[in-house]
Amino acid sequence: MNKRTHKYLPLFPVLAAYIVMFIIGDNVAGMWQLVGMLAFYCALGQAFNIFLGMTGYVDFGYVAFLGVGTYGMALALTRIKNLEAFGLGIIPIGLLLALVMGILLSLAVGAVALRLRGAYFAIATIGVNEGFRYLIEGAKIWNGAEGMIFTAQMNEAFGRDTASAIMTYWSDIFVLVIAALAALVTLVYMRSKIGYALTALREDEDAAKVMGVNVTKYKIIAFITSAGFAAILGAVSWALKTPYVFPPEVFEIHYTVEAIIIVLLGGAGTLLGPVMGGLVYGISKYYLSIILPGFQLLIFAPVIIIIILLFPEGIVGMLKARLKGTSLESFVI
Amino acid sequence: MAVYQVSLEIGQGEFVGIVGPNGSGKTTLFNVISGVYYPEEGHVYFEDKDITRLPPYSRAPLGIGRTFQIPRPFGSATVRENVAVGAMFGARGGKVGVEESMAIAEKTIDRVGLAEHREKAAGTLTPVEKKLMEIARALAMSPKLLLMDEAMAGMHPNDIDQMVEFIRKIAKEDHIAVVAMVEHIMRAVVGMAEKVIVLHQGAKLIDAPTKEALEDPRVIEVYLGRPKEVQAC
Repeated sequence: MNKRTHKYLPLFPVLAAYIVMFIIGDNVAGMWQLVGMLAFYCALGQAFNIFLGMTGYVDFGYVAFLGVGTYGMALALTRIKNLEAFGLGIIPIGLLLALVMGILLSLAVGAVALRLRGAYFAIATIGVNEGFRYLIEGAKIWNGAEGMIFTAQMNEAFGRDTASAIMTYWSDIFVLVIAALAALVTLVYMRSKIGYALTALREDEDAAKVMGVNVTKYKIIAFITSAGFAAILGAVSWALKTPYVFPPEVFEIHYTVEAIIIVLLGGAGTLLGPVMGGLVYGISKYYLSIILPGFQLLIFAPVIIIIILLFPEGIVGMLKARLKGTSLESFVI
Repeated sequence: MAVYQVSLEIGQGEFVGIVGPNGSGKTTLFNVISGVYYPEEGHVYFEDKDITRLPPYSRAPLGIGRTFQIPRPFGSATVRENVAVGAMFGARGGKVGVEESMAIAEKTIDRVGLAEHREKAAGTLTPVEKKLMEIARALAMSPKLLLMDEAMAGMHPNDIDQMVEFIRKIAKEDHIAVVAMVEHIMRAVVGMAEKVIVLHQGAKLIDAPTKEALEDPRVIEVYLGRPKEVQAC
């Protein structure tokens, strides 16, 4: 095997996990809903990891990017007249709009907040998320607090059967594809100068600067990439899958917290971490809500604290230590 | 004000020791040269270019490298990756890719004698190894000027002699001007520097060839105090 393909070996376990998820969901009766939820958590972790994991900056306002992405798709479906003429073409338009909106918001937020460090950055980003939500509600932008429901528009654009297939099946597959793409981009970054710059600034920002790393530039690269993935994830998982959008639901900080848990649980800054974290978190949440409905968070909180205390580098950090020196080593990063 | 009206000039390939007691402004001076702080007054020139307002990450590519008093490794990364960052973003920056930087890193690590620790996480090294790794990291940047902040502090005297010998050798081989800052390990200064600048309370006390500087009564006074008349008891 030559060196070039060798560089991309760690992608195999990630892609394998996503393919297995698809096969199980597609073939085992009653599993598709769970797979869809797991896919969302994996994709969320994979996207957030590009920023949180690689830079070490905690963005508490991350969900805002999923929120504007949701609005991007919603606007494409509700503001474009003559939907039938576009048909399925409305989906790429919506994705593009979501991506552009996500990137614009991340540039605006990044330009201000990325000048801050540590807790100050985290606090500023909470403000951004809440601020954006109240701006939409208060200034009655995009229907304000009333939100938008666009089931009818989806039916009109795609036809009733296709619309229903998109909501219940294709949107989940898109989410798996987004997760895989985010993993690919993560690995490309890790193997390039960007990855080294990010590692350096995560470990010691001042030392990195003195060594010639333009820390602001690389932080913004990671921020925009991560936000872009979040925006298309929102567009697919929150707009195409459930065709409505209300500000309090899409700017709900709860999702940011879940994303942080997934990344830390799996192993921040690792490639396989978000898959592991997403699966462990999603499966536990799903079954706990069946066994002990209402108590899942009460049980889950201490479990997570214990896991993070026992494995500060996450599941993948522990795996890496176990596999050191074996032939499997180059598959897990 | 930590440093006030200090002027100094460092020639190409010159070896200068900056000496001064705790609080005399040595680290501040380094921070001004490497761009961590901007001075309120005065200018910093590098190769006739005014770099006073240049951010640190733009100075490194010009050829300014530095080590820290307390080593600041990128702890979770391996020694090789740490040093490769220097090659990637230092004065070679933009000209070398990741793989080439790794090759440069390996050579540099061999030079400082850390070959066996190459794949270790930098955070797990001993303090002396960390210092050597920082030197390797700075060397991989291919600097013209290397600022060394207390490179020998906390070292065993035998190690100091070795380190002095090593730094002198690489400086000569690579034509690097070295500014080494030392608080009290005078043997390091005597062994290396052609010129010594003594700082005291943020001002320059003396700027002279090493031997002359260290024998100057003012320097002795700064370090040991004014000789008092012995009182009979």
